[in-house]
Amino acid sequence: MTDGKEKLGPAPLALVLALIAGALVLAVVHEPLMALLRTPRDAGGYDAGRMVFLYATLPRLAMAVLCGAGLAVAGAIMQFVLRNPLASPTTLGVEAGARVALAIATVAAPGLLGLGRDLVAISGSAITTGLVFLLVRRRGFEPVATVIAGLIVGLFCGALAALLGLVEARQMTAVFLWGSGSLSQQSWVPFSGLALRLGVALLALLPLLRALAVLQLGDDGARGLGLSVTRLRVVAIAIASTMTAFVVSMVGVIGFVGLVAPALARLAGARRLGEQLAWSALLGALILLITDAAVQLFAGQLSEFLPTGAVTAVLGSPLLLFLVRRMKPSVPPSVAAPPGWNDPPAARAPVVLAGLGLLVVVALLVGRGPTGDWSLPFGSWSAVAVWRLPRILASAAAGALLALSGVVLQRLTRNELASPEVLGVSAGALLAVALSLLIFGQLGAAGDAVTAVCGGMVVLLLILALGRRSGFAPDHMLLAGIAVSALADALVGVLTAVGDPRAMRLLGWMSGSVAGVSLQAAVLTMLAALVALIAALVLRRWLEILPLGSEAARALGVNLPWARLSLLLLAALTSTAAMPILGPVTFIGLVAPHIVMTLGLRQSRSVLYAAAGTGAAIMVGADWLARTVSFPLQLPTGLVAALLGAPALMLLLNRRGRRS
Amino acid sequence: MRGKSKSFLTRRTLVGAMAWSALVPGRGSASPVAQRVAALDWAIAETLFALGEPPIALVAASDWDRFVVEPRLPAGTVDIGIQQEVNFELLATLRPDLILTSPFSQDQEPALARIGPVRRFIVFEPTETPLERPRALTRELGALLKAERQAEALIAHTDAQLAACRARLARLRPPPVLLVGFLDARHVRAYGGVGLYQNVLDTLGLQNAWTKPSNAWGFATTGIEGLATERDVRLVAFQPVPPDALPTLAQSPLWRELPFVKAGHMSILPPVLMFGALPAALRFARLITSELERVAG
Repeated sequence: MTDGKEKLGPAPLALVLALIAGALVLAVVHEPLMALLRTPRDAGGYDAGRMVFLYATLPRLAMAVLCGAGLAVAGAIMQFVLRNPLASPTTLGVEAGARVALAIATVAAPGLLGLGRDLVAISGSAITTGLVFLLVRRRGFEPVATVIAGLIVGLFCGALAALLGLVEARQMTAVFLWGSGSLSQQSWVPFSGLALRLGVALLALLPLLRALAVLQLGDDGARGLGLSVTRLRVVAIAIASTMTAFVVSMVGVIGFVGLVAPALARLAGARRLGEQLAWSALLGALILLITDAAVQLFAGQLSEFLPTGAVTAVLGSPLLLFLVRRMKPSVPPSVAAPPGWNDPPAARAPVVLAGLGLLVVVALLVGRGPTGDWSLPFGSWSAVAVWRLPRILASAAAGALLALSGVVLQRLTRNELASPEVLGVSAGALLAVALSLLIFGQLGAAGDAVTAVCGGMVVLLLILALGRRSGFAPDHMLLAGIAVSALADALVGVLTAVGDPRAMRLLGWMSGSVAGVSLQAAVLTMLAALVALIAALVLRRWLEILPLGSEAARALGVNLPWARLSLLLLAALTSTAAMPILGPVTFIGLVAPHIVMTLGLRQSRSVLYAAAGTGAAIMVGADWLARTVSFPLQLPTGLVAALLGAPALMLLLNRRGRRS
Repeated sequence: MRGKSKSFLTRRTLVGAMAWSALVPGRGSASPVAQRVAALDWAIAETLFALGEPPIALVAASDWDRFVVEPRLPAGTVDIGIQQEVNFELLATLRPDLILTSPFSQDQEPALARIGPVRRFIVFEPTETPLERPRALTRELGALLKAERQAEALIAHTDAQLAACRARLARLRPPPVLLVGFLDARHVRAYGGVGLYQNVLDTLGLQNAWTKPSNAWGFATTGIEGLATERDVRLVAFQPVPPDALPTLAQSPLWRELPFVKAGHMSILPPVLMFGALPAALRFARLITSELERVAG
């Protein structure tokens, strides 16, 4: 980096962006401004052009500047405090929490929105931020773990919103509209309200700035000066997530601005905290202004509503990939067996097997009759044979597949937070189905399944291509997956926010419905699970060695790239085989391996068997709940599994963290 | 109002209406064996009710009274759950003779075929002539259920009623109407283009004040500033209106000063099924005609 650049900092970049923003804003305001100047002030009557200019166009531009700056400052605080270049309101799940709280309030208690959207949003984001903190506290807020925890929380919120959308089909648009923020304004009231709120938050931040700046010295340095590092972090993050919630409560989710602006400010040479905050605010404001002005100009040509938040997410998620490439890989906690570890005696295996068997029997036999009463199906065995058997088999097989995929990925990446969802294979499948629905219309169930598998494979190939350069460094591949997930989410967001009825089918597909699965499909999935288990057992030497680290693996004579490639392919194929059954989000790939570890199993053979059994058991249980809990309404099994899995995962992670 | 309107009925429409009302009470008389039909789409279901062949089971039945309103669901109608996640086990115990689906629920068809014969109907399609698709749907369902006469009678009845509404409105010279559904305090859906509501407006001879483009489904999502106009129009919003929408808009000069807001030219109508068939069209026609008559004094 040259001296000149050091001195100038982000100024040249800001100037270029300001020029672009200026040109676009001029294009937006030129005509109405001229008209305004031409007509005398009191021409009498309602002048629509003038009113729209004064109370919609101008406040919208001002709002773009304010929201961009607010999110960027929030992101800058998060990145600085957590020393994590990937932290932001989007990646930490803060926006997702605010958004899902608003969606729940819209459907369940619209009166709450009348009391104050910001209160609802703040509660939601406080809960999700708190959860992410709980998940990563014991890891010292290690960057990749933090972002993955944020992603898990975000996926959970997404699953909840999807369920709401499916059940409240006729309010789908209202549920999803705030997920892709729109900057549309009709007065200056929201602007002044938000300016006031953000101003108060900044004032609260001011006394902390000095102490925060000391954090740059490292935790020990800060402690040496007598600061409580944890308390400082928590307060700063609380302020940043409150700022985010204020913005979301006014305009909805504007993804990735809070990630991109601080990153650009730092890349362009902003060093000290004050500099980072100021430049981030400016760059964030300009980025959102440019995006929104472009959306206004472009959307004028479209007959379809285009939410600005979805556009920033589509543009911002690839940037995550770029940032990832500049990051040093970190060393996540190992999933390997410690030296001298002995698995508990196999005596538990029969107990576990018996438990699974009992679960299947209960799920087969216990259901609810036409009037909703609990019953055993005496005399109506067809219900058991035609409907319950296939869905239970399919759920169990898909659960086992995902669990196996999770075990392989976690050992391959040496990261216990890896899973098919996190790798982006699922999101790739979702993206492909959404695109095919948009472009080709309806393909039918078989067509969707083929599209999904192709989409998953394309993402896999992309991630492989990306990973080759870093020798398949685990972190990089995980984050690439997160970027793909964000992209898929944005696209689904546009479809659902617009209220396109086809989005309903997409939601149905996403939700993992096993109710109508055929016996043939169920048996095929069973076979796939069996093949996957055998393949994983065949490769178990690698599964044993890779978690020890690349040096150890090389010393033991493993051809690393080849081993990693084979395992990655196995994991992706395995999870893709489960996708047509369970949809893209389940968490089983994360939860099952964790339960197995909590049981004290480490050796890959027993881990594989136990994980497959656990995954199958969880899915059978989830499927039984989906079938009975809100009878006659049937819930999609995949979503129920996700809603059960995410909290279970948090409990497990927290418990394990406490013990170590 | 009804008495007033009768004088505008032509002889043809009166005959149609009488034929319909004569047939409906004797439901089932046309088809000796009552068919057990399950409907996975509300447009199909409401047409079945109007044909006197009520479905025994329906998706999202618990929401029906909130969003379709009329006819009220008969007490025995079984709720078979979400359109995208039908309760197959429950449906199977009902042993339906026929299962009727629309493209919105086609993913469920392979499983439904294990329960009984499945027939898919197109419920929404942009057409040249207003209400062409709902009419065709009525005839198709009539043919399937051997209720051709009821189908023709329903069409004649609907046409007669629509003609009557048109005649009532012709005397009023109503302003153009701006049909919207509030999504929140900042966004609305404006209806027009190829949708059912526009079809009805065309049939009634009413002018739609929404002149900007609509999407392939007959609506446009827009910020509320998109409604700004100097013209003398009447805003017609469908329930439900979110509780914070109108209070928030009262703070907006852009909204407050709008000619139709200032003059109080705003009406709120009960819900009408947007992707509906002939009964929804007729319900909308009646509601808007009565409302426009009411405000005309």
